[in-house]
Amino acid sequence: MLPRPAAAVTTAGPSGAVTAAAHTARVTLLAPGTDDLLAALRGTPALRPAVDRGQAGGLRALLEDGLFERLGGAGSPVRITTATIAGAAPVASSTALIRGALVAQLVRLRLAGVAVADAFDDASCALAASGRDEHLVALICDLDADEHARLGAEVMAHDAVLRRRLGAIPARWTPRCGLRQVISLAGGRVELRGFVDAALGAPGSPRASVCLLEVTTSSLEPRHDDVLSYLALLETLRTGEAPLRAAALSTGDDRFVVRDATPELLFGAAMSLLDLIERRERPS
Amino acid sequence: MSARRLLAPSAAQLVEVLVSSAEDAAPLSSRLRQLLIARLTDTSARAGGPRRRLDAFSVERDDAGFTTPFAWGTRAARRAIGTAAARGVAQGRHADALRAASEEVERLCDRAERGLSRPGSLGAWLRGEPAPVRSLCALEAATWAGGLLALVTPATQGALGVGVADAWFEVPGTKLTLHGRRDAIAAAGERRSILRLRDGLPGDASLAGLAIEGLVESLAAPTRALPARVVGAWPDAGVCLVMDFDEDVARTAARGLVSAAVRRCVVPEDDRLVVAA
Repeated sequence: MLPRPAAAVTTAGPSGAVTAAAHTARVTLLAPGTDDLLAALRGTPALRPAVDRGQAGGLRALLEDGLFERLGGAGSPVRITTATIAGAAPVASSTALIRGALVAQLVRLRLAGVAVADAFDDASCALAASGRDEHLVALICDLDADEHARLGAEVMAHDAVLRRRLGAIPARWTPRCGLRQVISLAGGRVELRGFVDAALGAPGSPRASVCLLEVTTSSLEPRHDDVLSYLALLETLRTGEAPLRAAALSTGDDRFVVRDATPELLFGAAMSLLDLIERRERPS
Repeated sequence: MSARRLLAPSAAQLVEVLVSSAEDAAPLSSRLRQLLIARLTDTSARAGGPRRRLDAFSVERDDAGFTTPFAWGTRAARRAIGTAAARGVAQGRHADALRAASEEVERLCDRAERGLSRPGSLGAWLRGEPAPVRSLCALEAATWAGGLLALVTPATQGALGVGVADAWFEVPGTKLTLHGRRDAIAAAGERRSILRLRDGLPGDASLAGLAIEGLVESLAAPTRALPARVVGAWPDAGVCLVMDFDEDVARTAARGLVSAAVRRCVVPEDDRLVVAA
């Protein structure tokens, strides 16, 4: 279990829930929070902590030493992804895959400042132009009228949450989408991979200002906390500076969780990662 | 070939590496240049067919991964638009990369509208896409430009040319084009350094790819001294490889380029696996 800093914030707003209440997992309320995701994520600029560029080196050394102690020198490759951290997810149906891909495109459209007129059509169009997920585009084309209408209604509901939570993001917040993280450790034997849906704030300033946002169509669960810590750790290793905060937004139940990327959180993420790798590689 | 490895360097550290002076060097030797052109001309003459392009990917990937025809998409368009966006921000014409990228998308569409774009070009593709897709292209490009600008913060950009045009070299009398990608250049004393952004993690063949960028740069500017160093940056991994470039590296790169040309131009599709083995 990772340490939970007091500054972490979650909200649990029942209004506008897309998923039925019975389907929504409980989320621990860590501190009284705000209902404004972007305000919670970005906070007050003057109160942001200074960037400690030595932190990334310390975390990398901690991981390298820990991996050598646990795994030794040689062995089979180890690959950790966000899905590994989140736990083995059941195989999603094709409808769920399409919905997830379309919502991911809607997040991008919101970041790009597009006034989405028809959520399903605009997202489908964006997905087709992405040059990826061609099999999903083909599945969308094969939907019959009833499936199309039902999926369209679902996507519209998820988009309503995005519209309310993300609103209009100014270009000066330097929105970015689809950030890939690939960290190689133990001489290339261990590979850590992550994918951040959206990032706000420019790196390179004296104060931490980069905010990571993970969007999920499933209900928010405690495992999303672990994913946020993991992504913040990879971002620190990747860029050399810790992000300010990381947040997960569920478009399924309209809840979000925001975590401060404190040194304690990053240290906890590194230790959890080492334990996870040890459990996977040495099950006994 | 060897390189220094930098982990998550700050912008100041990276720029220091790029601009630090190197020993004086001559341009690419005319002997190596003529020999390379002769070999490529010979290879191209045996092949015939359409115009072919060789670049670092051709050498690194052994020509694998290009089985499907190229098609524009939001991801494929990001570097072309992002380069212009990064340049706009670095030159102070735009406050942020997203606005700069949006303006570049509009400019490309406008050129296509006025019939100034070639069929199949990025502008022609953008013109046919709806507004949301164009906006997504701008966002992807801004994300790409952000990766470049994070490596060369405004305080250090004066020493660099950010978002510069790539290096191109047409092999005379052939249908072969050599393409060297470069995302920023810096003056390193009398010589230049090249910065190149890449996706993912550096692999075994990455150094060969960096050497190709330096070689094509040398071919494109025959009177200029050899590049001092070629720096590959992998922002996804937070890794930079710094390769000092000299005539020996250029010679090794030339061999790799000729091998790639042979595979691309001469060897039939079915025999490529045999050659690779």
